[in-house]
Amino acid sequence: MHASIRRVYWWLIAPAVLLMLVFYIYPLFQVLWISVTDPVPGFGNYRELIERPLIHRIWLTTLRICVVTTVITVAAGYAVAYAMAQVGERQRTWMMFCVLLTFWLSVLIRAFAWVMLLRTEGIVNSGLQELGLISEPLRLVRNEFGVVVGMVHFMLPLAVLPIYSNMTGIDTRLISAARGLGASPIGAFLNVYLPLSKPGLISATILVFVFSLGFFITPALLGGGKVVMISEYIQVSFEETLRWGQATMLASTLLFSVLLSLALVARFVDLKKVFGAR
Amino acid sequence: MSLVKTLYEKDLYPEIEDAGHSDFARDCVEIASERLAKGQIDRRTFMTALAALGALPAGLTLGGRSAGAAAKEVVIVNWGGPAVEAYAKAFGVPFEKATGVKVVIDGTGPLGSKIKAMVDAKAVTWDVCDTGTGTTLVLQKQGVLEKIDYSIVDKAKMQDIFAYEYGVPNYMFSFILAYNKTKVPSAPTGWKDFWDLAKFPGNRTMRKQPNGMLEACMMAAGRDPKSVYPIDIDVAVGKLKEIKDNVIAWGSGSQSQELFRTGEVVMGNIWHTRANLLSQETNGDVTWTWQDGIVTAGMWNVPKGNPAGTETAMKFIASSQDPEQQLVLFDAMGNGPANPAAAAKVPADKKHIDPGQPENLALQVLQNGPWYEEDSGVRNLTNDELSREKWLDTLSS
Repeated sequence: MHASIRRVYWWLIAPAVLLMLVFYIYPLFQVLWISVTDPVPGFGNYRELIERPLIHRIWLTTLRICVVTTVITVAAGYAVAYAMAQVGERQRTWMMFCVLLTFWLSVLIRAFAWVMLLRTEGIVNSGLQELGLISEPLRLVRNEFGVVVGMVHFMLPLAVLPIYSNMTGIDTRLISAARGLGASPIGAFLNVYLPLSKPGLISATILVFVFSLGFFITPALLGGGKVVMISEYIQVSFEETLRWGQATMLASTLLFSVLLSLALVARFVDLKKVFGAR
Repeated sequence: MSLVKTLYEKDLYPEIEDAGHSDFARDCVEIASERLAKGQIDRRTFMTALAALGALPAGLTLGGRSAGAAAKEVVIVNWGGPAVEAYAKAFGVPFEKATGVKVVIDGTGPLGSKIKAMVDAKAVTWDVCDTGTGTTLVLQKQGVLEKIDYSIVDKAKMQDIFAYEYGVPNYMFSFILAYNKTKVPSAPTGWKDFWDLAKFPGNRTMRKQPNGMLEACMMAAGRDPKSVYPIDIDVAVGKLKEIKDNVIAWGSGSQSQELFRTGEVVMGNIWHTRANLLSQETNGDVTWTWQDGIVTAGMWNVPKGNPAGTETAMKFIASSQDPEQQLVLFDAMGNGPANPAAAAKVPADKKHIDPGQPENLALQVLQNGPWYEEDSGVRNLTNDELSREKWLDTLSS
């Protein structure tokens, strides 16, 4: 009885699995295949990963930006989520609306909005100059700083939502109990609340980091052509220089690094629990 | 192995176009679309093209399509939008009249990667593609193009230097020094001024790709405009390094225009068509000089194994060399005629935006494609490939 129901389940998901195999897994293998066959069979493309300073630089830039973005986004997202978990129903609705509003805007529009705000003649610079705080306009955009600002802004909802949903499940009476037993407010937060919100923190970190790795539009626009991340170089190799071997090698490496970081995290936490599969 | 249906991120996210890099040919289409939006070109003309596109997603058929009759039509691929109508009018109608071969203009965009994918998969549906010198050089190294048959195509109807082994110029355009008059103390007169941060403070914009930039670097380094080639790549990227902190790089033509609009740059090495638009919208505040400009060309390519056969494709290209046809395109989209014989026929009020006018040409350098093809002596890369790497490396360091 039990086994036959399981078989029915398999049949039910079969179309989806088939679809994934044909339109996702197969092309993915094509990508891997090209990375070891174009222009000549072998691991020549992967050797470039070790040998070419340009690729080192691009990888380092990518990792640096991803780490900085993730740390800032998760910290800020935690603060927002914490506030949302504490305030009343009305404020919460408004806060949620504001978080989601940016989520729905096109990434292009958001990038251009940051350019308008942060450029040399933009509101921020002219405001600071009016106030006499700076004499020369600051370079706030078309560099790595601008890229991080834009990416943090883009990623924030991805951090707020999982942390918030985790926080709503925390029993606040535990904090009261800790306080009643003599813990200071900070002590109660650090020893009770923070550990309980860890699953939300971890899933937010993974989400933001993995998304950041493949970022393309924001760095291309806010970086002023000088902040080249892996995905932009994949596009250049694939579409401009037609070095598909190199492009697919970079894409595969990107995929492997995502899998690797997930595997690392999985050693310490139960990923199924983090992503709500259990 | 083909990637035809799997890897087109752009199909899914068309907005990526704006963030990426673009060819001049595609940029002309963007410009024409903008002109239409501002009411500068005839709405009806544009709507006809759109209607045709809607009815026939593959392109605009001038005559009825006859089933099964191969080589009775020739498919020309360009970047779509108003270019479909403009190319049909300029090149399609005359060719069809002369030969009876139907001309289909396909506006889906001849991306280098698509051409390679088609040829690799032996499923070529395009006969003649509207690309640039950069794409031509990359594609020819991949071995996916047909050699140009110069017994059919007339070498006398183009600047010698643009007669590529695998590409024919279909129009000309220039990389020029554009500047904002209100933000510089005096008019810059060449690339040396472009590099003079003390005399002309402020940010500049240069292209993300080295094509058209290396030449400016060499002139800034003191090389005589007449002997810019062979370019010393290390000297050129060294010049970029000097002013890199003040350079914002542009990927697409619209980006280069945007940077002037937002006031982020005071000068730039950009396409003359974009400089002309900026000049119009700022009432001449932004202007440009032809001095030390770098003239290059849009290219016709024929993919290997094209359906209509090489000969038909070559005949189409030969037909498009007619100065009258090129003037029609110049009028519709601003692409400077490639045939020197057309220069004299350009109306007087438009001579100042035509890079091919003798007085403008005299000030400029003709881009030397063959140099880009040559072996660089490093890792089997051509000068084109090596300079792309070093340029990006320097920009991003």
